[in-house]
Amino acid sequence: MVSKKVRRIAAAMASTAAAATLLAACGSGSSSSTATTSSGTTKVSGGTVNFAEGPGATPNYIFPLSSGAYFSVTNLSQFQELMYRPLYWFGQGTTPIINYKLSLANPPVFSNNDKTVTVTLKNYKWSNGAPVDARDVVFWMNMLKANKANWAAYVPGAFPDNVVSYQATGPNTVVFNLNASYNPTWFTYNELSQITPMPMAWDVTAAGQAAPSETSTTAPDLTPTGAQAVYKFLDAQAKDTSTYTTSPIWSVVDGPWKLQSFTSQGKAVFVPNPTYSGPVKPTISKFVELPFTTDSAEFNVLRSGSGLQYGYIPVADLSQKSLLTSSGFTFNPWILFSFNYWVVNFNNPTVGPIIDQAYVRQAIQHLVDQPQWISSFLKGYGVPSYGPVPIVPANSFADQKERNNPYPFSVSAATDLLKSHGWTINANGTDTCSNPGTGANQCGKGIAQGAQLAFNLQYASGVQATAQMMAALKSAGAQAGINISLTSAPFDQVIGNATPCTATQAACKWQMENWGGGWVYAPDYYPTGGELYQTGAGANFGSYSDPKADSLIATTHTAPASQTQSALNAYQDYIVQSLPVIFQPNADYQLSEVSSTLHGVQQNPYGNLLPEEWYFTK
Amino acid sequence: MSELDDLRAPIDPQQEAEVLVDKGVPTGGEAFETGSQFKLILQTFLENKLAVVGLGLVFAAVIFCFLGPHFYHTNQVTTTYNINLPPGKGHPLGTDQNGYDVLGRLMVGGQSSLEIGFSVAIIATLFGVAWGAVAGFLGGVVDTVMMRIVDAFLAIPTLLLLIYLASVFHPTLKLLIIVIAGVSWLSPARLVRGEALSLRVRDYVKAVRVMGGGSRRIVARHIVPNAIGTIVVNATFQVADAILVMAVLSYLGLGLPPPAANWGGMLSDGVNYVYAGYWWLIYPAGFAIILTVVAFNLIGDAIRDSLEVRLQRR
Repeated sequence: MVSKKVRRIAAAMASTAAAATLLAACGSGSSSSTATTSSGTTKVSGGTVNFAEGPGATPNYIFPLSSGAYFSVTNLSQFQELMYRPLYWFGQGTTPIINYKLSLANPPVFSNNDKTVTVTLKNYKWSNGAPVDARDVVFWMNMLKANKANWAAYVPGAFPDNVVSYQATGPNTVVFNLNASYNPTWFTYNELSQITPMPMAWDVTAAGQAAPSETSTTAPDLTPTGAQAVYKFLDAQAKDTSTYTTSPIWSVVDGPWKLQSFTSQGKAVFVPNPTYSGPVKPTISKFVELPFTTDSAEFNVLRSGSGLQYGYIPVADLSQKSLLTSSGFTFNPWILFSFNYWVVNFNNPTVGPIIDQAYVRQAIQHLVDQPQWISSFLKGYGVPSYGPVPIVPANSFADQKERNNPYPFSVSAATDLLKSHGWTINANGTDTCSNPGTGANQCGKGIAQGAQLAFNLQYASGVQATAQMMAALKSAGAQAGINISLTSAPFDQVIGNATPCTATQAACKWQMENWGGGWVYAPDYYPTGGELYQTGAGANFGSYSDPKADSLIATTHTAPASQTQSALNAYQDYIVQSLPVIFQPNADYQLSEVSSTLHGVQQNPYGNLLPEEWYFTK
Repeated sequence: MSELDDLRAPIDPQQEAEVLVDKGVPTGGEAFETGSQFKLILQTFLENKLAVVGLGLVFAAVIFCFLGPHFYHTNQVTTTYNINLPPGKGHPLGTDQNGYDVLGRLMVGGQSSLEIGFSVAIIATLFGVAWGAVAGFLGGVVDTVMMRIVDAFLAIPTLLLLIYLASVFHPTLKLLIIVIAGVSWLSPARLVRGEALSLRVRDYVKAVRVMGGGSRRIVARHIVPNAIGTIVVNATFQVADAILVMAVLSYLGLGLPPPAANWGGMLSDGVNYVYAGYWWLIYPAGFAIILTVVAFNLIGDAIRDSLEVRLQRR
């Protein structure tokens, strides 16, 4: 599960998707408590929906301006955005496109040769009665400008660096002046999409402090120092999960849901926000997210038939699908606009110089047998990831190279690469560098004579298929003399470890981290990868740095409309070859099982939950 | 007949005994041939049929795990895609989720489990005995400090501590042995300390002191040997407990990383397929754990009986 902006996904891989119960209620706007009829069944108001969180992936950060350690679908898409709506909403049903109907603002207007952007907000309200207006957008921008280093989606030179100025020109209008012309689609999908308006009630630096008025000229966020103090306070509050339901800060929401209770184990209970001013108001009376440490633990509850209305079936238990169907559940795989990989740490003081060699990454990539893993471990519920642009759901972004594997599984190809670069192969042992140096046939810069080809790889526990894949990788690695030591840890721990670092930092001990779910393009909905692979980007967890990649990424941001796809193709083709990460099969997000009495469930391609669209029938 | 005549008369043993009984003089019973103390212990042990069964099970487990792989060759390093195959030709107990042969994996996994069991028992017993004996014998402030340390460790939930350590450090066989032994020595320390408190006031200990014997000699030659019954019995339970702890850690995903195997890990992985009906991933490992633990418990019970003085004189 993952978050927004470039979010990280925990592979529940089990999954759900309430198949055919796609709801017609979306957009009905009805919050009526009276029963209506739908498709021959009676729609009723009220009821509780228990939803299964991903294995080991529990919400643990409520503040929308998240750092990399908390940047996950679990935190953003399936927790924060239930309460705090982003400026623009993405996903129409199961289709990966922008949804202006559910957005807080009208479509942006680009002018001045695409150097000026005007955003007009709709008439939403905060739960404290204040309007969701231009000042709230400016508050977000002020916070982002002053705290961009703490923001996982930060890309040097891009948002917010490319915004020269921004101002509220009216109660509901914000104007952004850019430092150059940018592609409107990219700017909307990857920059405006990042904005989450924040209430003035949050513009404080200490608990109990009175919030400034919208017209205040001394509000803390108006100066960089003040904005940093506000961030420091809110970040600390967000890390204190025990205060989520008691804090006067977090109780101010503009989304359809309010948090009623929250446990440190990750159980979150939401109730409808009675003042929600959006178009689709909740029908059910309670939405509960339940934590599980493993997918098998979740399945035990699902199979019991009484604990969950929305869960998932692990791949290992697919033989039980018919039993669940007979118990009143509907099976439907949930497919996200995502791709899958694990990160390698280019700055690790021990193996960083080895990982920095493209031929080493290519050798490792040759050990990943994606078609076989999908067939054997995912039972076909997945697609290969050969590059950074998803090939499903069907889209126009991925080019042909995303569909062809440039590094097919081959132990001999891996060993050939290593031998040709000065390594002595020691199958079922550990390869050693026997020809150090920077020549074409030598090990490479920073690799000493006798250096060993050994790595530590930590993967997220709780998902059997991930464990199987990693065991297969280790086995293949052993045949090539690449010694991969495996450990497992909960999802939250894995993404907490996988953060950008410098070699001298204690936090840079990690070598390879695999949280199992890769990345869903949200809120960077246009898959240019700037947040992932540009030098210094907040979600460039492995600290990959390549001038050519930086250049190609920059081109995707500024290319005129006529060259948009060609720029994107040049970028993705280069990434496919250079391997800033190691690609692995992208499993369906989850193999959902939804109670047949629950209707209106449409599985958002970016991982968002919209329980306000759900309802029970009788 | 004078008394002298009586003395000169030939003595009939049976008659003499009757005379002595008539005179109220105590006599000895039937004479038995007695062996060494070890022989007596062994005899008592072997009289316990359950103990013999336990010993046989342990012996069989050792043979199965350590000699078995020499006769039943499987590749337990390289994964295959023949996953979760049911028992059949070529795989008497089927294959697991990584394509490993389950029978071969039982053998390899048993090695880890038994090695951990024995190693932990030895380390924990040696350290715990030394700690407890010193604390109990010296008494006073030393005893107070040493046993408060033990109490402090006992106050920490064992499972929580093991999970923490296993998550902080990269699990290896040696590390897990040290970690499990680190929480297992507390029990023998307390037991032996109690024995030492009792033994240190015995006459033979005082005698050693009078004869100039030092504390080290007293602890090593008199305290510990006289607590040997408690120590040995506890050690057998330590073996079983260590195997179970290892199984728990593996069940929680904190055991040895692949391709290393142990019975607990096999059971843990197999449970994921409980609804799929892959019984061969669950029952073999489960039975192996149960039988081994029960075997060591039976042995422990029998040793306790064998070392119990009153039972030896029955």
